[in-house]
Amino acid sequence: MAVSDITGARTDLCDLSLTEATRLFSSGEITPVDLVDACLARIERVNSTLHAFITVCAAEARAEAKASAARYAKGEPLGPFDGVPFGLKDNIETKGIRSTSHSKLLIENVPAADAHVATNLKKAGGILIGKTATFEFALGGPAWDLPFPPALNPWSVDHLPGGSSSGSGSAVGGRLVPAAIGTDTGGSVRWPAAVCGIAGLKPTYGRISRRGVHPNTFSLDHCGPMTRTVADCAVMLGAAAGFDPLDPGSIDEPVPDYAKALTGSVAGLKIGLVRHWYDGAATPDVVAAVDAAIARLSELGAIVEEIELAPLDDYIDCKTTISICELYAVHEKDLKTRPQDFGKLLRRRVIAGGLIRAEDYIQAMRWRTELTTRMLAEFSRFDLLATAGWLNPAEPADPNGVDFFKKRTNVTMPFSLAGIPALSVLCGFSSSGLPLSLQLAGKPFDEATVLRAGDAYQRATDWHLRKPPLA
Amino acid sequence: MERKPATREEIAAMVKVAGLELASEHFDEIVEAYHNIEPMLWRIRQGRDRADEPAHAFDPRKFMPRAPD
Repeated sequence: MAVSDITGARTDLCDLSLTEATRLFSSGEITPVDLVDACLARIERVNSTLHAFITVCAAEARAEAKASAARYAKGEPLGPFDGVPFGLKDNIETKGIRSTSHSKLLIENVPAADAHVATNLKKAGGILIGKTATFEFALGGPAWDLPFPPALNPWSVDHLPGGSSSGSGSAVGGRLVPAAIGTDTGGSVRWPAAVCGIAGLKPTYGRISRRGVHPNTFSLDHCGPMTRTVADCAVMLGAAAGFDPLDPGSIDEPVPDYAKALTGSVAGLKIGLVRHWYDGAATPDVVAAVDAAIARLSELGAIVEEIELAPLDDYIDCKTTISICELYAVHEKDLKTRPQDFGKLLRRRVIAGGLIRAEDYIQAMRWRTELTTRMLAEFSRFDLLATAGWLNPAEPADPNGVDFFKKRTNVTMPFSLAGIPALSVLCGFSSSGLPLSLQLAGKPFDEATVLRAGDAYQRATDWHLRKPPLA
Repeated sequence: MERKPATREEIAAMVKVAGLELASEHFDEIVEAYHNIEPMLWRIRQGRDRADEPAHAFDPRKFMPRAPD
């Protein structure tokens, strides 16, 4: 089935953004049942290649789609997310649906309750299509020794989709679903978004509840939307966000109408460019693409000034120390009693956390305060910070490749430590046709300005309209 | 001051204190992993002011009994 998109061009239903789809639901040109059927057919066709989904909930999705279609028929949709098919990373618990964290340890885990973020998305009318692949417990990957194969990149199936929200990035980039939720501790929404050619937002820490999400690092875990357009991210964030009194990390701040913030303008916005994190560290095509994106934002009226923050290595050392201590605490019992059931990568990355002294963990937390305070001071002069979304294009899918942990390319980690909203947005392609990305970060709970700038950039460019070869 | 990586014997002692009983292949893994993180730990052990706060904050109100939704 094909329909006209917002430009008037004929398009396959799977090519529709979620905002285009809900516009067509409202006009009656298509129904949520049509879109869910199209997504399920596409999953049937390409998931055996991409391995983006671990579990597909076809029957449940079709039933929810019928209910949503009935609401639209009565002119009573629940809101701008009603009828939207979405994927959830498999470290997010779903009532009655296997939630494995891509691990042998949880292969039979069928939760009795939904995670808070899943509840919110369902209350908004979203339709869960399935559970997406991840690195084991959002850390151990890409790995070939787990119960499910690693997801692959829709722009080249010889490459990986980043991680750890690898299946969510692959599913959205490959147009299996228009939207998915990932989790982000050090960059696990933004990295796959960057290398799969989509938009991914890590909101402020505490913006979306972590309740029902398998922990990676309690003090750094976030959930975030992954979509093809920034405008779609705004809608999905509005549906997913909200205070949860049962998550001690949740913060009671009103959820604004993010879509209303998308004015299309960056005129007068002050952007601090952290160029030293990527210049000289990123591949030349990343440097050129990010510089060009910044130049485009300047042409659109943003006021850009280059600034210097702490070296990227400082953030990586600080974050990694905190994470492996917390990860070890989460997995200590299983590491001691059934270490062979973990994938080798996760075990290797986490087990040394048991050897770190308590005082080193606390020193890392003190360093986090210092690094964050220094970064947030820049917001007295700037509305946004900008840098690269990732330092290289997608990595080859090579089981013998170099462990990415050793490459120290995590340009996402500074904003993880600071807990501030950060958006990865497609800003070009490498010479080999792989996506490249810009990263924009804002003040705590100012997702609206981050989204506004990302959306304005997409309105002025057409990178996000390109289709991967697989599509 | 030049720092030397921990020896296998030193790591074995830390493993014992941590209560881990590892098969030999898993011990090799932890030696490799510890050697990867050790330079980070050296950098973290910088002098700090006594009053420097860690990025922890405890709000007891967060742990009051509440009904699930």
